[in-house]
Amino acid sequence: MLNYIYKRTSHALQVLFVVSVITFAVLLWIPGDPAQLMLGADATPERLQTLRTALGLDRPWYVQYWEWLKGFVQLDLGKSYLFGQNVSTLIAQRLPVTMSIAVFSMLMAAVVALVLGALAAIKKNSTIDYFSTIVIQLASSVPSFWIGMIFIVYFGIRWQWFPVAGYVPPQQGIGPYLASIALPSIVLAIGEVGMLLRTVRTAMLDAINQDFMDMARVKGLSGFTIYFKYALRSAMIAPLNVMGLQFAKLIGGTVVVESVFALPGIGRLILVAVEQRDVFLLQGLVMFVTTLVILIALLVDIAVMFINPRIRVEMQGE
Amino acid sequence: MTFLVVLLCLLSFIYMPHGPNDMNLALRFTAPGENPSYILGTDYFGRDIMSRIIYGSRSVLLVCFLAVAIGSVVGTLLGAIAAIVKGPLSAVIMRSIDGLMAFPGILLAMMMVAAVGKGKEGAIVAISIFMVPPFARLVYSLILDSENSLFIKAAKSYGITRSRLLRKHYLPLLLPRLITQFTACIGSAIMIETSLSFLALGVQPPNASWGLMLNEARQHFLQYPYLAIVPGLAISMAVLGFNLLGDGLNDLLQRRRS
Repeated sequence: MLNYIYKRTSHALQVLFVVSVITFAVLLWIPGDPAQLMLGADATPERLQTLRTALGLDRPWYVQYWEWLKGFVQLDLGKSYLFGQNVSTLIAQRLPVTMSIAVFSMLMAAVVALVLGALAAIKKNSTIDYFSTIVIQLASSVPSFWIGMIFIVYFGIRWQWFPVAGYVPPQQGIGPYLASIALPSIVLAIGEVGMLLRTVRTAMLDAINQDFMDMARVKGLSGFTIYFKYALRSAMIAPLNVMGLQFAKLIGGTVVVESVFALPGIGRLILVAVEQRDVFLLQGLVMFVTTLVILIALLVDIAVMFINPRIRVEMQGE
Repeated sequence: MTFLVVLLCLLSFIYMPHGPNDMNLALRFTAPGENPSYILGTDYFGRDIMSRIIYGSRSVLLVCFLAVAIGSVVGTLLGAIAAIVKGPLSAVIMRSIDGLMAFPGILLAMMMVAAVGKGKEGAIVAISIFMVPPFARLVYSLILDSENSLFIKAAKSYGITRSRLLRKHYLPLLLPRLITQFTACIGSAIMIETSLSFLALGVQPPNASWGLMLNEARQHFLQYPYLAIVPGLAISMAVLGFNLLGDGLNDLLQRRRS
């Protein structure tokens, strides 16, 4: 078992290394000189040169990469020249926003996908199965920014159920906080539910056709126990994997929704960094998000190993 | 049921290319108003929404087809090289693919746009890189799966070259799966393209693109919601059409195999 964890961790570190190389290479390729961007067009060559030296931009790329990587390992993500602050400070300010909508949307998507997916699999080819197929197809083809805009018009302006823009931190009251993240979370959840529902349905269908299900039926257990205690539990592995990855990717994937609802989160920060070509900020953000993705994927894999008796037994046999 | 789905997606597939051919309908910068010749109304600049939708479909499909084509060729080659050559080179390729997959979709695309620049070219590069991993993984696993089948062993036993092995034996084997994957990827490519242009990082104004139309509609859609309805519907229909086509092809493939 330890062997498996070791293997998975070393794989994760290799992937992280590749990610750091890709990020650094792509951003090195960005046209424009950061020193010039910082000082403006009328800066003297001497001042430009001084700043370049101060930023270490005059060193060869591999030295720059090495220094950057070293800083990253020490949790120093660099400094944004746009904001004049450390990237980690900027992330810390905006993470609660993105985390809130990511957690709530994932919860909503998970509940809907589990219930609907399980029912669809149990009653295959029934009305509810058709309904879930329609949900899968629609949820994965309707763009989230569009749903967001329509929600704003109806839930926000016409019926005034929810505020349409901005974020209220939970310190200012739980009610306003929940209201401010309700619409963005629902919109994100719609984007996630398609894939998740499909996974749950397939996994559940597989589980229902297994031998132990016949055994449970022979024992005379009730339908509810059979399906929700036995089948759903053994069917949880694939959906858990998907959920873990989806959640991790939400941290960097909320750009569009944050932009629609004017939420000051990580996504907006990424957009600003791209628009203003703040290379250091973008580097730090990208590394932060991808590290989180890789870390969560690793944790989910290890968690699944503990849940899944098949993997556990295999590992003991090794 | 499957038949119905295939039929529906074929219909949307036939229907969609109808748009780009009719682009000479474009009546731009004409005054807004409730005029029977502007079926879907006009936007802020008095541009006919119908024409912009039809014109926009051309740029969306062009960008997406090109991007997925580039991505599929590069991905297939990388996957095939990794599977056939093996050894450290294969490990490097597959780790890089894993690395690419660790980026949340839109983030990688945005990073590429920052490097290449906004506009069509940026979008094509961004989406094609995004499309490399699924193809590389598919090809890699398919080749490894079929490595031990009799006809491959036979071919190897009389000393076939690697590139010939790939072209004559693996490619016919892979092709149906690749086509299915290609179709499914177009759907997600459309989603990324429209997201990018919605964030004003894709096709630049005054060109028409569905995502950009939604972006432009943002300032006025509270008074005129219709500005947002039509482009959104167009995007949804296009993605849905390609997704259904991909699913339909996939089902067809599986039934033929069993």
